[in-house]
Amino acid sequence: MIAAAAVQLLGGLLLGPLLVGSIQTAKARLQGRRGPSPLQPYRELRRLWGKSAVDPDGAGPLYELAPPLVAAATAIAVLVVPVAGVPSPWGFGDDAIVLLALLAVARFALTASAWDTGTGFGLMGAARDLTIAVYVELLAVLAFVVAAIPAASTSLAAMSDAADGWEPWSSAGHWCAAIAFAVVIVAETGRQPVDNPDTHLELTMIHEGPLLEYAGRDLALLQWSAAARHWIFLVVGAELFLPHSGGLWLRLGSLVIGLAALVAALAITETAQAKMRILRVPGLLLACSLIATAGVVATVGGVLA
Amino acid sequence: MSSDGNSHSRSWAAGLILLLAAVGSAVAGCLGVAVVATGDRLGVDGFSDGVEPALGVDGLSGIFLALLALVAVPALLYARTYLRGSRHATALAALTALFVASMALFLAARDPVTFLAAWELMTLLPAAAILLARDEAGVRSAVFVYVAVTHMGGVGVWVAVLLLAAAGGLSAPGLADLGTGGQAAVIAGAIIGFGTKAGLMPFHSWLPRAHPVAPAFLSALMSGAMIKVALYGLIRVLFDWVAPAPAWAGLVLLSLGALSALGGIVYALLQRDLKRLLAFSSIENVGIVVIGLAAAILLADAGEGGWAAIAFAGALLQALGHAATKGMLFLLAGTVERATGSVDLDALGGLLRLMPWTGSAFLVGAGAMAGLPVLVGFAAEWMAIRALIELTITAADGIAVLAAVCAAALAATAALALLCFAKAAGLLLLGAPRRREAGDACDPATGMRAPAAALAALCVVAGAVPGLLVPALAGLWPLGPAPAMAVTGGLDLPGTGSLPAPALLAGIVVLTAVLTLARGRSRAERAPVWICGQEPDQAFAWTSAGFTKPLQLVLAPLLRPERSVVVERSAGITDAVTYAGRVPHRFDTEVYRPVRRFALAAAVVARRMQSGSVRTYAGYLLGALLVALAVLRFGVLQ
Repeated sequence: MIAAAAVQLLGGLLLGPLLVGSIQTAKARLQGRRGPSPLQPYRELRRLWGKSAVDPDGAGPLYELAPPLVAAATAIAVLVVPVAGVPSPWGFGDDAIVLLALLAVARFALTASAWDTGTGFGLMGAARDLTIAVYVELLAVLAFVVAAIPAASTSLAAMSDAADGWEPWSSAGHWCAAIAFAVVIVAETGRQPVDNPDTHLELTMIHEGPLLEYAGRDLALLQWSAAARHWIFLVVGAELFLPHSGGLWLRLGSLVIGLAALVAALAITETAQAKMRILRVPGLLLACSLIATAGVVATVGGVLA
Repeated sequence: MSSDGNSHSRSWAAGLILLLAAVGSAVAGCLGVAVVATGDRLGVDGFSDGVEPALGVDGLSGIFLALLALVAVPALLYARTYLRGSRHATALAALTALFVASMALFLAARDPVTFLAAWELMTLLPAAAILLARDEAGVRSAVFVYVAVTHMGGVGVWVAVLLLAAAGGLSAPGLADLGTGGQAAVIAGAIIGFGTKAGLMPFHSWLPRAHPVAPAFLSALMSGAMIKVALYGLIRVLFDWVAPAPAWAGLVLLSLGALSALGGIVYALLQRDLKRLLAFSSIENVGIVVIGLAAAILLADAGEGGWAAIAFAGALLQALGHAATKGMLFLLAGTVERATGSVDLDALGGLLRLMPWTGSAFLVGAGAMAGLPVLVGFAAEWMAIRALIELTITAADGIAVLAAVCAAALAATAALALLCFAKAAGLLLLGAPRRREAGDACDPATGMRAPAAALAALCVVAGAVPGLLVPALAGLWPLGPAPAMAVTGGLDLPGTGSLPAPALLAGIVVLTAVLTLARGRSRAERAPVWICGQEPDQAFAWTSAGFTKPLQLVLAPLLRPERSVVVERSAGITDAVTYAGRVPHRFDTEVYRPVRRFALAAAVVARRMQSGSVRTYAGYLLGALLVALAVLRFGVLQ
């Protein structure tokens, strides 16, 4: 129990940048470059934390409030995500819908910061992010519904327990939901083909857009939050939709393997797949929603049969 | 015209009327809360089918009386300052007070005559008040549409109530011998009648027209209270008089609710007129309430009494939360209109700095409308989504899949609401003022500031402790025992990961404070925003249309936006480019316009029959006589 809680707290708060760094390293290797070390994001955070900030003209209180608020909401969201199916002991519950709503708080704060500076690129990114979020939330809820049916609960821990062993993989619904959630992961972590985390071209930015005006510790908080989102979605994906079984230590072991597999999968997708036109992304997400709906149909039919 | 002294005395009278009305609604609200808390009843117990007037309050009426007071007390107090020195202040105050009284009468009515009379007054009084406040051609047309649509739809209420009264269904709920057809007629009449007044799509056409033209306090009363009072009527029919409602009623309501939620919020976010945006968002919220009610019907039908009660409580919580939030937002829109002379979002901006009270309250309201957790509204949405998922887990296959799709639609609605209110708050409050007139706006007098501030505080507090309200609301579930629930601040429902709202709020606030301290304030310098090295210019300011453009492009096949680009060239040189774009309201162009055209054509035909010539009328009489004789002769009636 304590081990799971410790993994949840320390992993969530500390390992997000490692996941991002690992994806970058793996991607570089796949592209025939040596690439930075997986620890590079930590060095960047340290560098940013030591720098002074530059505020844009006319920025108001919400611009200054946004980075701590985004980081706080993301940190609470990290504590909502249980590991190894152990209910989270931090007093914030472990409900799947609440998790989505906490991330919406971060989204609202970041959009407000973009409005506060009135910067064109920030608002462009925020508008795109909120548009895509409509489809992502729809898709995520459908995937969660499929996982919730066998568990009869929307508690992430209960859903993880219900996906224990090989049995779920004989259900067509589980496969559909796994595919759907894979796309949720790609969209929510800002990866290709939905978004390009490496872009330096302002016009193509989605998640990076509202970060453009920030510097120093503010930027460090926001980059940590983006890394923590990787932890949140990869862990939920591995816990709900990747194989796991057994006691606590086996579950923790399969979580590590699952995370490694997802990191590798993201690196391969980013290498093999070019960025999509932004307006085609909702089409991709809607197509996946149909897959997820098929998963609901299969699971509902399967439960009653 | 009157002298100065006279108008002063009249505005004093207006203030007194509004104060008395506010006290009256506060008393009614307290009575309502007492009835809900104790489980007792006031006045007549149960409904009568007769014509003698009867009044009484039970739990369901009580909670809606509380809702009415929640909106009416701040709105009436706000109106005292708002109306000071304006034309027809006394008459407007009196009409507004009567409007509130008619809603209270409707909630307390215990016989069909009082019920229907209060229902009609509730429609007509605000129409009269709007016309009194603003006598312009556009306003008259909006009010005409309001009265016409709600009256035509309102026929459904008469049909439902009179059929029930004739069958003795009001005094013996659920036992009346209506037959399947009669029950279907009652339910259909109730959905159309009450749904029209509640702004349920596709009967909503009047709402985005009437709410924006009303004075602020009246918009707040109509959007915050009146449409919820109409939902009370729907609840009364479905959960009391014809209970248990059949599953098909649940399916119809689920579909209409999902349509209203999605359609309402999509059209809301395309608006740049703040009051129209708020009006469309009311349609969305009514949709969410109706989804909760539909889930309650279907869960009860599937034998899940406990979850049905939770869905029902969630619907009531959503109604209460929306009443407080939307009432406040309409009051704030009125304040902004007074201070800047505009509710055009593209013309405003920077009001958080200029009007800190108004701006902060609006920010809270926008967050609540966007469904952010720990503000009022999220808990209700969470309960609705969770109830739909429970329906997916327990109900028959077809209903289960529909419920899952509706749960996803609700999630999409929440994300669209975030887009909509992030836009509204951003354009209104943040950045630099987009127009000079907005540059010297300031907060209003305490009389207009305090009511909105009180509602904003309520939005935060009620959002932090939904668990204190939900058990009492679930106790109102009429079709069985209420589920046992611990009365704590958070919501720990079975089969969920729980919503510990107080912990979430405390966690976010404390962590934000800690991180703000850790970041420190060692700001080095200021620099212009990054626009690829160009000088920042007001022409780069983002507009409402710009922010929602991605969504509009994605939804173009559904919304069918119209755009025209005219390029004027002379001798190969472009002189001017004019661009115009708008998104027509497809319900108006494709549902209401054909209906109106048909009605007008039918009226032309009917008029042709009225020639005024005596011989023609004699011919009609002869024809009618022949038909009657033929019917008798050939025995069609047997």
